[in-house]
Amino acid sequence: MGDIQQLAGPVAVLLLLLFFGGSLYMSIRISRKRENADGYMTGGGKIGFGISAASMTATWIWASSMYASATSGYTYGLSGPIHYGLWGALMILLIYPFGRRIRQVAPRAHTIAEVMFARHGRSSQLLLAGSNVLGSLISLTSNLIAGGALVAMLSPFSFTQGIVTIAAGVLLYTLWSGFRASVLTDFAQVLAMLGAVVVIVPTVFFAAGGPELFTTGAANLTPEQGSFFSSDAFFNQGAPYIAAVLAYAIGNQTIAQRLFAVREDLIKKTFVTATVGYGATVIGVGMLGVIALYAGLQPMGGDVNNLVPQMAATYLAPALICVFFVMIIGSLSSTADADMTALASITMADIYGQNIAGRKRANPRTMLLVGRLTMLGATTAALCFATMRFNILDLLVFVGAMWGALVFPVIASFYWDRVTNVAFSVAVLAALGAFLPVRFSWVDLGGGVGVVSDVLATIGIGVVLGLMAFGFFGFRAALGTGIVATLAAAPFAIGFLHQHPVLSGSLVAYAVSTIVCVALTFLNQDRRFDFALIKERTGDFDAHEETDPPTAAGPQDAVLAGTAEGSTR
Amino acid sequence: MTTALLTAYVLVWPAIVAGVLLVIVRAFVRELRRARAEGRRII
Repeated sequence: MGDIQQLAGPVAVLLLLLFFGGSLYMSIRISRKRENADGYMTGGGKIGFGISAASMTATWIWASSMYASATSGYTYGLSGPIHYGLWGALMILLIYPFGRRIRQVAPRAHTIAEVMFARHGRSSQLLLAGSNVLGSLISLTSNLIAGGALVAMLSPFSFTQGIVTIAAGVLLYTLWSGFRASVLTDFAQVLAMLGAVVVIVPTVFFAAGGPELFTTGAANLTPEQGSFFSSDAFFNQGAPYIAAVLAYAIGNQTIAQRLFAVREDLIKKTFVTATVGYGATVIGVGMLGVIALYAGLQPMGGDVNNLVPQMAATYLAPALICVFFVMIIGSLSSTADADMTALASITMADIYGQNIAGRKRANPRTMLLVGRLTMLGATTAALCFATMRFNILDLLVFVGAMWGALVFPVIASFYWDRVTNVAFSVAVLAALGAFLPVRFSWVDLGGGVGVVSDVLATIGIGVVLGLMAFGFFGFRAALGTGIVATLAAAPFAIGFLHQHPVLSGSLVAYAVSTIVCVALTFLNQDRRFDFALIKERTGDFDAHEETDPPTAAGPQDAVLAGTAEGSTR
Repeated sequence: MTTALLTAYVLVWPAIVAGVLLVIVRAFVRELRRARAEGRRII
C-alpha cells in the first residue's frame, strides 16, 4: 500500500501467532473440563481489582477509539483528543454510581436486561436486550473491520485474510471459557496496549521533531486548532459525545458484565482506574493526530483513518512497528472478545435462561451450549457484515443515539418504585418513534415541527445533565441541574439544534422517554415495587460447585488451574 | 502557548498511562500471590 513501511509476511504471521497463541495458552490454563454457566457469563462475581481494572480498560479501548481520537486531534487541533477521550472516559465514571446501585439490588445478576425482567417483565427486558445485541454485534463487526484494515495496510495480506484470522483467533481463545478467558487475556492485552502507548507516543513525538515542532509547525494550525478552548471542537466533537456518554454506559452490555463480575467492594476503585487508564491512553494516542497536524502530514489517500498507522510507519523503527501492530490487535481483540461474551450472556441469561427455560428450570449445560453457539453465530454474522464494509461508525452513532431512549427509563427503574412495565416500554417506544424522524430528517424540521424538535432537544439537554448530577449528588441536585441547564440552553438551542440531526435526535430521545415515563409513572397511584424482589428473582444458574482437580504441574499452574471457586446457589 | 507547556501536554498522557499500568500490574501480582497462597484460581 503506497510507500509506507510494511511488516514482512512471516513477521506479521509470527506476531499474530504469538498474540493469539499466547491468549489461547492463558485461556487453556484457566479452562475447566466442565465450565460453569455463571463463570462463563460473569466469572462468578468475585473478580479482584487488578484483573477487573485491566479488563474494563482493555474492553473500553478499541481500535476505532484510537483512530478516532487521532482523527479528532488532526481535525480540531490541541483540544481534539480531549473532546474525544475525556467524554469516553466519563462514560466509565458515570456508570459507577448507577453501577453500585445496580449491584446493590441485583448482586448476582448477569445482564441489566435480566434485572429489567425481574423489575418489570418481558417487554422491558427484551427492549434492552435487543438494543444490547445490536450494539455488540456492530461493535464486533467494527473491530474486525479495523483489524482487517490494519493487516491490509501493514502486511502483505488482504483485508479478508485479516478479518478471518482475527475472528478465528479471538474465537479460539474465548469460546471454551467465555468471560473468564476474556478478562484474563484482557490483562495481557492491556499490558501490550498501555505499554505500547508509553513507548510509541514519545518516540513519534521526538522523531517528528520534538519540542521544536511547535515552533516550526505552528503555521499549519488555524487559530481554532491552536486553541485549548476551541468551540469548533466542542460543538462538533465534544457535545455529541456528552449526549452519548450515558447512553453508551447504560446500553453497552460489556461494561455491565464487568460491573457484575467485579467484587462489590472494589467497584469504585476499578471504575476510577479504568476511567484514568482509558482517558490517558486514548488522549495519548490522539496526540499522534496533533503531531501529524503540526508536522503538516497529509493522510494517505485523504482518509484520516489511515493517520495512526501512517504515523507509525513514518516515524517508528521496524521493531516499534511490531509493537504498534500488537497494540492495535490487542485493542480490537480485547473489545471483540468482550462483545462475544456479552452476546453469549444475553442469549444465555435473557433469551434461554429467562424466556425459554425459565430461571429455575434452566440447565447450565444447555446454557453453555447456547453461549458457545451464540459466539460462533455472532462471529459468522460479524464476518459477513465486515465483508460488506458497512459504514460501521455511522451505525454505532445510530445505536448510541438510539440507546438514549433507554437511559432514563432504565435508571428510573432502579430508584423509583412507582415506575411500571407499561411506563418503561411505552416511554422507550415513544422515544424511538420521535428519534427516528428527527435523526433521519424524515419530516421537514424547518417550521413548527423544528421548533417542537428543538424544545424537546433542549429538555433533553436538561435530562442528560440532570442524570449525570443524579448519579453523584442525588435527586435535588439533579432536578436543579436539569431545570437550570434547560433554561440556560433554551435561548441558544431553540431554532438551532434541529440543524444537527444526530445530536438533536439523541436529545429528543432522552426528552421523550423521560416525559412519557414520568407522566405514565405518575398515573400509577397505588402500586409500589419492592426492590428486594430483584435479588430473589435474579441469581446464579449453576447449583453445584466446580471441583476440577488441578491439571498443571508448576506453582504458577497451580494458581491458574487450581481448585475452582465455583459459585453456588 | 510556550513550547515547554505544549511538550508537557503531549508527554503527560503516556506518563499517566505508565502510572495506571503500574497500579494494575501491582494489583494483579498481589492477587496472583494471594490466590497461590490460598490454593485457588485467580479467576
